[in-house]
Amino acid sequence: MTKTLIKLANIKKIFYTDEVETHALNDITLTINKGDYISISGPSGCGKSTLLSLLGLLDTSSEGVYQLAKHDVSNISKKERARIRNMEIGFIFQSFNLISDLDVEENVELPLTYRKDLSKSQRKAMVKEALEKVNMSHRSKHFPSQLSGGQQQRIAVARAIAGKPSIILADEPTGNLDSKNAEAVMDLLDLLHGEGATICMVTHDPRSAKRAARNIDILDGQIVAEQNQQSSNDTAAA
Amino acid sequence: MIWQDFKYALRLLAKKPGFTVLTTLVMATGIGLSVYMFSFFNTILFKDLAFKDGESLVVINGSLNGQREESEINWLDYQEIQKNIEGLTEFGGYTSANVTVSGRDGAIRYVAILAQANIFNLTRTRPLFGRAFNAADEQVGAEEVVVIGYQLWQNQFAGDKQVIEKSMRIDGKNHRVIGVMPQGYLFPRNAQVWLPLRIDPSQLIREQATGLRGLAHLEKGVSMADIDKQLQVIMQRIEQQYPQTNSGISAFISSVPGAGGAGGEPVVYTMHVVAILILLLASINVGNLLLSRALERGKETAIRVALGAPRSRLITQLLWESTIICTIGGLVGFLVMAWGLEITEPIVTTFFAEPLAFWWDFSVDSYTIKLFLGILVSTILVTGLLPAWRTTGGDFNAVLRDGTRGALGKKAGRLNRLLVISEIFISMAVLIAAAVMVQSANEQTNKDIGAETANILVANVLLPETNYDSAAKKIRFVKQLQTQMQSHTGINEVMIMSSLPGHYSAEQKVMFEGKEYTKSSNNSYPSANYIATMPGDLAKLGVELRQGRYLNSSDNSDNKQTALVSESFAERHFPSQSAIGKRFRLVAKETGEIDWITIVGIVEHTIQGNRDGSAASVPSIFRPYSQAPRSRITIAMRLTTDNSHVIKLLRKALQGIDSELASYRIETYQASNDRITAPVVFISSLTALFAIAGVILAASGIYGVMSNTINQRTQEIGVKRALGADEGVIIAEFLWSAVKLLLWGGIPGVLAGGFMGFAMAQMFGTGMSALVTIIVIMISIVAISVIISTYLPTKNALKLEPSQALHYE
Repeated sequence: MTKTLIKLANIKKIFYTDEVETHALNDITLTINKGDYISISGPSGCGKSTLLSLLGLLDTSSEGVYQLAKHDVSNISKKERARIRNMEIGFIFQSFNLISDLDVEENVELPLTYRKDLSKSQRKAMVKEALEKVNMSHRSKHFPSQLSGGQQQRIAVARAIAGKPSIILADEPTGNLDSKNAEAVMDLLDLLHGEGATICMVTHDPRSAKRAARNIDILDGQIVAEQNQQSSNDTAAA
Repeated sequence: MIWQDFKYALRLLAKKPGFTVLTTLVMATGIGLSVYMFSFFNTILFKDLAFKDGESLVVINGSLNGQREESEINWLDYQEIQKNIEGLTEFGGYTSANVTVSGRDGAIRYVAILAQANIFNLTRTRPLFGRAFNAADEQVGAEEVVVIGYQLWQNQFAGDKQVIEKSMRIDGKNHRVIGVMPQGYLFPRNAQVWLPLRIDPSQLIREQATGLRGLAHLEKGVSMADIDKQLQVIMQRIEQQYPQTNSGISAFISSVPGAGGAGGEPVVYTMHVVAILILLLASINVGNLLLSRALERGKETAIRVALGAPRSRLITQLLWESTIICTIGGLVGFLVMAWGLEITEPIVTTFFAEPLAFWWDFSVDSYTIKLFLGILVSTILVTGLLPAWRTTGGDFNAVLRDGTRGALGKKAGRLNRLLVISEIFISMAVLIAAAVMVQSANEQTNKDIGAETANILVANVLLPETNYDSAAKKIRFVKQLQTQMQSHTGINEVMIMSSLPGHYSAEQKVMFEGKEYTKSSNNSYPSANYIATMPGDLAKLGVELRQGRYLNSSDNSDNKQTALVSESFAERHFPSQSAIGKRFRLVAKETGEIDWITIVGIVEHTIQGNRDGSAASVPSIFRPYSQAPRSRITIAMRLTTDNSHVIKLLRKALQGIDSELASYRIETYQASNDRITAPVVFISSLTALFAIAGVILAASGIYGVMSNTINQRTQEIGVKRALGADEGVIIAEFLWSAVKLLLWGGIPGVLAGGFMGFAMAQMFGTGMSALVTIIVIMISIVAISVIISTYLPTKNALKLEPSQALHYE
């Protein structure tokens, strides 16, 4: 039986700049189940990154209800949002967003250092496991500037999974990579999904989108289409 | 091309007027203050005298216990120096004096110099009329001759060209005028009258030999340090030979202007360091502001590179901005500085009872202009090259791509940290040094001189030896004056002393009964302020009696030899016994037979002259005026009426007693004391101004750099928040980084400031506890400003939602 992880109901996000009111998201209703592999696509400015920010509690909605693991997180405090981001959500960004002053190991360990329930040895073990999973253990003492884009993104993936989050949110994870490195990162995400991870990814790239089980299309802040990759494949096969 | 870049830089500056005004003002402050400080000290201490060979003219002064001060050396010591030293030529010497000139406007006091015959040759200056001194003029018993200054010639002789050979009455004695010096000639400092120095060669007793200041020319290729080394060796040899008189006494040379700064080197050097640090602070601030602007335009620069702009062109373009800001700021600073120099002269004039030294011309001179131009070019390079180097040397391809700040972040972070560390270092050092200076001035101003100064008017009178050649005449005059002034209503009390508490006093070497002062005993003659007072006057001035009795009328009898001593005298020389009844005598006796003087009372310590360091602790001996009459006296009157009325009464009384007597330096007792501390108050006010500028520059600079740093790290903050860091964690992290910077910059800053502060504290006698308190307070001030400068921009950055922070440009 599928277990609901995230439930968005009638979510709206309005930005105000000077006197202009921009409806970035308009009445979004969406459910994400545990183990889902979702891609969100759409043209530039359609609101897909805003949606991902709301899902990742990086921003708050103007209206609507957001439930994460059956808890309403629409109006929780900043501190609580930070705690949930740290414990339940793993982020992968288009521009990697590694901290240049920290080496690979420290970058991966960074979200774990914000948790009080982990000892140093536990953190080290989790970092080691995450780096092994992305096959980057041999680069643990390197700094981001010493790594290629593909390697940096793999480190970012390791950072996202180190804390064993409930969901991984990826914003254009292959956007800054060449096709070879992009393939490798997508393979990594496939692998993680295969191991049971829930992944929600914003992408422009149809090849990356194809890898997801569910494809959601957004246009002008609204979900305009959603298709299940499996059923579409079945349809195509028929 | 250059014109195009210049116009573009102007357009950019005009686009952000707030930024332009701020940076211009910062630069104006830095350049204006530092040029002023350098120019000020150059004028009073480092300027070459405007005579031919003026740069090689040096003065030989005495020093005591390693402390350099502008004091005379024994004539016999000077003879030894002349015989043994190498590297100096054309020896001369002089001693300062005050004389009363009686002429058509009554009796007027002038600054005079008793000089050896070659004084004018040394300065390569010939008299305007008449002749200079010759060897015959120096002979004891020769006719009294005088060379007069231009101003005196104008005042006393109305510029009469036939003045030569005319007679002039100086200190009651006729002198033949033999020469008139040119306008502006006041050598060695502010003299108007030059008299020949006549030394009796039979003066072979070291204890009674005349003191003088030596003059000579430094030979080419010889440094002052070389001469100082030789002087030390010669003086050490004399000290070994004559420990009684020469214990702790040495000599040193300096330029004529530099002699005024002798002993004050810690202050002078500290002020110069402070001036450089302020300039550096201003440059760092402007450099950082230009840097943050250049970073804002990073993409524009990258586009220019992509379009083929050579790096040199980009650097030139960025340098234009700093050139415009520094030039405008520099000119504003220069104008304010020039005004500052202009008002310095009237302010400084109030510090001295005498006219200022002739080379003290506080105005924009060639040195100031050269210095200004040098500083201007340096600031343009420092403030412009920093952003130019930072923004034109990066990975432009990376800048043009999105979200690749991380690659540049490390370098930027290091540079920003370096800037903050520098600002913390400078501000800490400047604040500590300045605070010690202010504290010292405060302590000196509020120091208890040992007397009450309220409602007292003071005046000085000089009794010429010609008319007052006996003790009886002097005593008669003083009694007459005291009685006359006391009879007027509005004058409560009249006190007459050779030197009032707080004022400078002559010192005397003494020897104690029962103590051996031979070469083998290794005892040197102790020295003390030697003051003559009318009986009862110390009590009237509020100088408290500690033991024994005050001087009274019974001490006026001829056969008595009594003295009061200060508590410090008793403690120093009779630490474990009472000083009352003990006897001492003067090493250089004044008149008559050798007499033992009995201590009859002990009064509280009085400060005579400088309030700082060891000068303030010199003990004092007070003798009844009748037993130790002096030519120079100070009359102090406690009033219940207005000053001008009493001044008239005093002048009338003096004229009535002796028409050739002049009173001078008529002022309130408080004002006369304030004048002694005025130079240090002025310097400390100047330092305080620097410190205030330093605090504002440093606080704004640290805030600017920190906010720039945090601004550049907004994306990083977004990443960390995305990874689960809450606001508290982010703030704590940034504050911890700030604390680390505080330690990196603060520890050397405290050491540098502490070093300068310690040097000044030693000089001024500021206690270690005060120094430690100052350091703790200054650390707190800098720490608070660093914490605030970190907290506010961090809090500001946290106002953004993490999603906004992640995409922050």
